[in-house]
Amino acid sequence: MNKNKEKLLAKRYSSEKRFQFLGKSAIFMALLFLAIFIFKIFSTGYTAFQKTWLIVPVNFDAETMYLDANPSKEDLEEADYFEISLQSMFNLDKNANEKQQNELKKMVSYFFEREIKQELINDPSLLGKTKDVYITASDDLDQVFKGNYPRDLPENQRRVTDYQLKIFDQLVEQGKVESKFNLSFFTYPDSREAELAGIASSFMGSIFSILVCLAIAFPVAVLAAIYLEEFAPKNRFTDFIEVNINNLAAVPSIVFGLLGLGILLAVFQLPRSTPLVGGITLSLMTLPTIIIACRASLKAVPPSIREAALAMGASRMQTTMHHTVPLSMPGTLSGTIIGLAQALGETAPLILIGMVAFVNTIPGSPMDPAASLPVQIYIWAESAERGFVEKVSACIMVLLGFLIVMNLFAQIIRHKFEKKWS
Amino acid sequence: MIKISAKNVDVFYGKKQALFNINLDIEENQVTALIGPSGCGKSTFLRCLNRMNDVIDICKVQGEIVINDFNINDKGCDVVRLREKIGMVFQKPNPFPKTLYENISYGPTIHGMAQSKQEMDEIVETSLKKAALWEEVKDRLHEPGTGLSGGQQQRLCIARAISVQPEVILMDEPCSALDPIATAQIEELIDELKKEHTIIIVTHSMAQAARVSQRTGFFHLGELIEHGSTDKIFKNPDNTKTQDYITGRFG
Amino acid sequence: MSEAPHTVKSYEEELKNLNSNIIKMGGFCEEALGKAIQAITTRNSDHAESVIKDDEKIDKFETLIEQQVVNLIALRQPMAIDLRETVTALKISSDLERIGDLAKNISKRTLLLNEYLPKNLVDALVRVSSNVQKQLKSILDAYLDRSSSMAMNVWESDEKIDDLTNLCMQEVIKYLKENEKNLDDGTHLLFVTKNIERIGDHTTNVAEQVYYLVTGEYLEGDRPKGTEPIVTGEK
Repeated sequence: MNKNKEKLLAKRYSSEKRFQFLGKSAIFMALLFLAIFIFKIFSTGYTAFQKTWLIVPVNFDAETMYLDANPSKEDLEEADYFEISLQSMFNLDKNANEKQQNELKKMVSYFFEREIKQELINDPSLLGKTKDVYITASDDLDQVFKGNYPRDLPENQRRVTDYQLKIFDQLVEQGKVESKFNLSFFTYPDSREAELAGIASSFMGSIFSILVCLAIAFPVAVLAAIYLEEFAPKNRFTDFIEVNINNLAAVPSIVFGLLGLGILLAVFQLPRSTPLVGGITLSLMTLPTIIIACRASLKAVPPSIREAALAMGASRMQTTMHHTVPLSMPGTLSGTIIGLAQALGETAPLILIGMVAFVNTIPGSPMDPAASLPVQIYIWAESAERGFVEKVSACIMVLLGFLIVMNLFAQIIRHKFEKKWS
Repeated sequence: MIKISAKNVDVFYGKKQALFNINLDIEENQVTALIGPSGCGKSTFLRCLNRMNDVIDICKVQGEIVINDFNINDKGCDVVRLREKIGMVFQKPNPFPKTLYENISYGPTIHGMAQSKQEMDEIVETSLKKAALWEEVKDRLHEPGTGLSGGQQQRLCIARAISVQPEVILMDEPCSALDPIATAQIEELIDELKKEHTIIIVTHSMAQAARVSQRTGFFHLGELIEHGSTDKIFKNPDNTKTQDYITGRFG
Repeated sequence: MSEAPHTVKSYEEELKNLNSNIIKMGGFCEEALGKAIQAITTRNSDHAESVIKDDEKIDKFETLIEQQVVNLIALRQPMAIDLRETVTALKISSDLERIGDLAKNISKRTLLLNEYLPKNLVDALVRVSSNVQKQLKSILDAYLDRSSSMAMNVWESDEKIDDLTNLCMQEVIKYLKENEKNLDDGTHLLFVTKNIERIGDHTTNVAEQVYYLVTGEYLEGDRPKGTEPIVTGEK
């Protein structure tokens, strides 16, 4: 008897230990996956925040640009920089033949003319002088410099020629290659050229979409939740509505995309590819999430508070507006932010309503065409160029950062309001 | 004088009948205690008096409850006005999660009882003084009411209830969550308040009913078994059920 | 006692215990009274001595009951029937204690009396004392049965005792008038008679308590009185 008891006790302890071990290993696994994911993203993505510049001496020769000695600002704007730009590239190897000259030109981005022009406009006194100018290297050389490019491949299998590599190595030796923080990643819109591609357009697109989504979903959802929870009679019809709201929350997002496509674009003729349409579509998706969060936090308001207000002679409306709703706000707001964060990461419906289009301008309003961050990731991940690989990871980092900031905000709101009321 | 007169009151929760033909007169400026085992309908009856049962969808009240010659179960009765006249204090102290001042001023604000800030200050002060809380909280009127101790919170709730000068105060087990000292303070308060208000208190503590009330009603299984003067009920009740209950022979 | 038992069993036990102590104390008083009467009528000094000795027991019971009552009030806060039970127990016990004291006093005086007493006088004494004995017995039964009608009967028959006491007093006075030598015994006999009457009064008090215990009401009006006594012992 006693021995049996002891055996049983030992068994109970060991099963508890086993259970704890399983739990701990589950957590360890989860953390491991997360670590691998984050490591992968960061290790491939961090280089995207650096950009390789070639320092090339440029001779701002007035004659070549058909300018007089004291040109006006307009003259500088309209002058022809192509010739001096080409010339400064050719000067890197004075003995280059025509083919090699062409290769020299391709060592920098097609943007180089504009960069040289900007330099002169910023400092007109350079006219007639020679100055070292930072020029964005082509994405292939960028990758070479970052060490992402296998140099041992046979020449016909890589996009950088042996000649380009030779010149590049010379420049590296002279200290004429520099890597600096890639500001253009944040300020430039998308581009076909990896070295010039930025997230400004998709970032703004995302922000506009979220704002539109918030502006539509929040008031509608909160009003719906308040009515359902506080005023609607409890009958079969409201039960039916409740079930359907819960179902709506489980509808795959692509269905909402189709809805946006079929109704917003086809019927209402709203402009394609715009954050307006994207925001409305996302708001449909967010609506049930916010309704559910809001109803849950309305339910969590102790009935004693409602009774207290009613017993003081407050009407139902006053009870709701003065007491219940303010008390439910922290929960509602954090639910809203979680919903918005979900919407922020949504890709499928946005692709359907055309936000996948290539947009190389930065949108100034929700009516302008734009991409969004997750869609940008999708676009870049599809691209063949080596330079986009790191951009995808970088974009993911930005998106994750955005989400973390939003969730942090949700937590802060929650804490702030709860402290005030407890 | 009779303040409230309930005649043939029946209450149903859905199909279940919770109160059976209650006839009870409540005397003005007296404390009436309602006692009985859990689920006997005493709280339900209390909540009939300010129509708090309206909140529950499935609850139906039949019969007459006459207050000041007016049947509150009439269709013409305005619930908001009724509850202004009949205050209520609940089992668990439930101050609004706002400041003490806002707690007291809420009722007078929604009923438009104060014309100026000064008048409101006066209402808040007198209410708190009547609730014997003024001295303890006068320096922290703008701190949250939820920061007070349980007994203070309950007195705050009483102050809130009397801020609109109700004629009747209903108390639903107001001391069940309080320690004996706080309970004694509330009981003393009830004794003071009965000079100006008619008080009906539901309590599980027979000793409390005996201490604070002048009249007592005993409910059992939805029926009013016996009612009468408190000393009669506690010394020599007519009904054996009442006797068995108050002597602890069932419960 | 009410038909249903208490939810708290120890409370029920305590009340029952109190009840049975009253019954036991009442039993001792009955015995003391019986022996005292027997001692005086049959001139048996052994009985008288045992009554004097046993009074201590009755006194102890009173203290015990008093403690029990105080404990009940302090710890159980009895209500309604239980409250009346407790409070009447206190009062009944003090009446019973007085009855015990009076029986002791009778016995003490018995020891001082002469061997011979006139038959008329003894008969009168026996009449009044047997009536008192009967009263005491029936009120203890009334208490045991919680019978308000029996209590009422006892209360009403106090009148008869008063009358019988007066008759007995007359006999004693006659006895006193017979001979100057009778002065000592006569005075003792006056007190004995008066004590028996006092016992009757205490029995009536107990009857009032039993009536209150059962009905929760007080016996209204003056206690029934017989013809005014010709000689008063104390007063």
